[in-house]
Amino acid sequence: MSNNGSQPTVTVRVQRFNPDIDKKPFLQEYRLTPQRDTTILDALHEIKTHQDGGLTYRRSCRHAICGSCAMNVNGRNMLVCNVPLRKHLDRRNRVTIRPLPYLPIIKDLVVDRSSFWEQYLRIKPWLIPPDDIPEKEFRMSPQEVAALQNAEKCIMCGACYSACTVVATNKKYIGPHALLKAFMRVLDPRDATPGERLKEVGTDEGAFRCHTIFNCIDACPKGLDPTKAIETLRQLAAKRQAFEAARRERQKSLAGPVPVSE
Amino acid sequence: MPSQDEITHEVIIVGAGLAGSWAAMTAAQEGVKDVAVLSKIHPLRSHSSAAQGGIAAALNNVRPVADTGPRGPLEQIPPGDEPVDSWELHMFDTIKGSDWLGDQDSIEIMVKAAPEIIYTYEHMGCVFSRTPDGRIAQRRFGGHSAPRANYSADYTGHVLLHTIHEQALRHGVNFYSEWYCLDLNVEDGVCKGIVALEVLTGKLHTLRAKAVMFATGGYGRAFRITSNAYANTGDGVAIAYDAGVPLMDMEFVQFHPTGLYRHGILMSEACRGEGGYLTNKDGERFMERYAPDKMELAPRDLVSRSEQTEIDEGRGIGPDGLGIHLDMRHLGREKILQRLPQIRDLAIEFVGADPIDEPVPIQPTAHYSMGGIPTNADGQVLANADGDPLVGFYAAGECACVSVHGANRLGTNSLLEASVFGQRAGRTIANFIQDGAKLQPLSGNPGERNQQHLRALLDRPGKENVEDIAQELKSTMTDNCGIFRDAGRMAAALEKIGALQERFKAAKVMDKSSRFNTDLLAALETSHLLTFSEVIVAGAQARTESRGAHSRTDYPKRDDENWLKHTVAHKGEPSEPPILSYKPVFIDWERYPPQERKY
Repeated sequence: MSNNGSQPTVTVRVQRFNPDIDKKPFLQEYRLTPQRDTTILDALHEIKTHQDGGLTYRRSCRHAICGSCAMNVNGRNMLVCNVPLRKHLDRRNRVTIRPLPYLPIIKDLVVDRSSFWEQYLRIKPWLIPPDDIPEKEFRMSPQEVAALQNAEKCIMCGACYSACTVVATNKKYIGPHALLKAFMRVLDPRDATPGERLKEVGTDEGAFRCHTIFNCIDACPKGLDPTKAIETLRQLAAKRQAFEAARRERQKSLAGPVPVSE
Repeated sequence: MPSQDEITHEVIIVGAGLAGSWAAMTAAQEGVKDVAVLSKIHPLRSHSSAAQGGIAAALNNVRPVADTGPRGPLEQIPPGDEPVDSWELHMFDTIKGSDWLGDQDSIEIMVKAAPEIIYTYEHMGCVFSRTPDGRIAQRRFGGHSAPRANYSADYTGHVLLHTIHEQALRHGVNFYSEWYCLDLNVEDGVCKGIVALEVLTGKLHTLRAKAVMFATGGYGRAFRITSNAYANTGDGVAIAYDAGVPLMDMEFVQFHPTGLYRHGILMSEACRGEGGYLTNKDGERFMERYAPDKMELAPRDLVSRSEQTEIDEGRGIGPDGLGIHLDMRHLGREKILQRLPQIRDLAIEFVGADPIDEPVPIQPTAHYSMGGIPTNADGQVLANADGDPLVGFYAAGECACVSVHGANRLGTNSLLEASVFGQRAGRTIANFIQDGAKLQPLSGNPGERNQQHLRALLDRPGKENVEDIAQELKSTMTDNCGIFRDAGRMAAALEKIGALQERFKAAKVMDKSSRFNTDLLAALETSHLLTFSEVIVAGAQARTESRGAHSRTDYPKRDDENWLKHTVAHKGEPSEPPILSYKPVFIDWERYPPQERKY
């Protein structure tokens, strides 16, 4: 690794907590000598495999697509697999890693995402297509697809959910991740039930509970904008019947070519 | 460790990627009431999500613009115009890509089912990229003679996985998230269930079922540089092998030509499908010398070998000369942002190179496992080279070997294979249940046996570091059984693996706790790497030819006379090597007889 010289020794501070043994969470310090391209996940892996096998966290893909490794680094939620350690060191060459906030801790950096998944299930994340299914694909315009991209890239890592101050105080709130998924289904011309969906999310447990503090946008490792999606849901909920009628109209031509605009 | 507990289901599927989720959803759709899926990570964390470039099917939505050459622009096919693609072409490309080791009956089933499975994904809500008139967009891919990679920008696997998981939930499938399968219970030639560890509590459970399916993914973590997730430790493959199930064609491991330099993380083949170049330190597009016709879009085995040759002959890039450049600058900013957004982010994050402005340093990376648990085209696991079924046991996806990829898989055929054969396995399982399959009583006590094994692993003082053993294994596999192989290096690899297996007996698990013990899991995963790596090398050592991804410098030619056959490996006696036997390849000698493979 001659091209990738070692950097000075750094201190990685990790919040530890095993509810079977510990009374309360505490910070533990580890020291290691990273290389220039060491990620925070690489650092955790090095600590776990050579210093302290008990240090516990989730990880899998290593490149920000599986959503396992969302954690809180120096006070900010992020995935730790695609961020270089050196960019998150303070002046004393320290980094502090804690579990995602506002969620029960299972062990160390592993949190219990049950409420997160319950809300995901609650909004029925699956598409409900119309009764008439064409032989080939439903036709969607590139613009209709582009409108969903803000939501379809979501990897369900929980960074937004656990950064949300509304979630912090109210676990009945659907949350930014599930509202973003609901947005994706509502906006999808193939979904036959946008009215029911808007009824479910257009409440004060849903889109109207969002305080537009934008923590979710700041936390999202994929650069998505749940707040904007929630805002759209609020607007559509206000004109739900017209939106449903427009969807029924659109679905009449779903099996045929998209008229070429421009 | 807390005591064990018994659970029963009609069907238990291990693994929640595309193959497992398709099987589960299909079985539930066909009326099986009680389908459970176990996964060591949350289903949406499965590695299917890492697939980027597309899923193959001859939909005939686009064609090359006339007279623009093999790398020119594509356009949608106007209604009524002649199709450019067909299942027959897809079939031939797949057979040729497999270097004639793929079973042609299974390949035919897959390519014929391809369009319908893509449309089904679309009807279930998958958000594909589109042509201007609203059809599913397609791009070129290596080894395919027509643009048939149906895609969703460069995160196709991600949208397919989320779609199928949502639909499995919709159909009432039960998920056991973060449960780790430890053992497969086979008695008297019948599969009766599994033993699993509930990761959260550390509790062991014996799970009985009428049908068990493995969809546990590939085994790329046995190599130093890999595109594979931490999770891809070939658990299912090793567990099945230990339970007496054979493994087929394990020596065929695909190295993808474009892994990020030093990290191995995938840069989709779509980079080249969209027109990217590969260049050496002299700026030369060296593929001209290896595949003058297909160039960068030759199949992966050939491109990776070409890169490795450039590197070995001193024409690599970077301070250590171990890299190659992937140059996409000429594609332009707009195309990169629109079609390769994830690729761009990864290149910037991991190697600090924005593909819009500079070439990205890459290197070959262990990517896909062609071999695995042998099955027929209905997902039924085969107990031996004669093809006898192992009653109650099914497999599909990367852990299985059906075999459609033979000696080398074409890009975009893996998502297709996992989907088609996952669905078929789901149907087979549903029929098996509805035909009156019974829960079989267990005569032994596998739960107790596994409990003792784990207890011993945790209790022994141990002195060997598990990660060090894993790293030494990965190094020997990469250096001695990687892109190029020969008898001497493989003998060294076998010796090293034997020594590492011995050292593993003194491996130390540092974390002794019951709750969420990922240190214990890492030890179990490493034992699996050691188990199947020996089978990879043994199969490769015996196969004295070069075919597809198995390339021997001491036997550089394909040898159809002696080696047009599948390797079938059974576990030998303790400390004895695997027992190898061979199974004929299904070839349609009229239509697709073996030919010389040139690109």
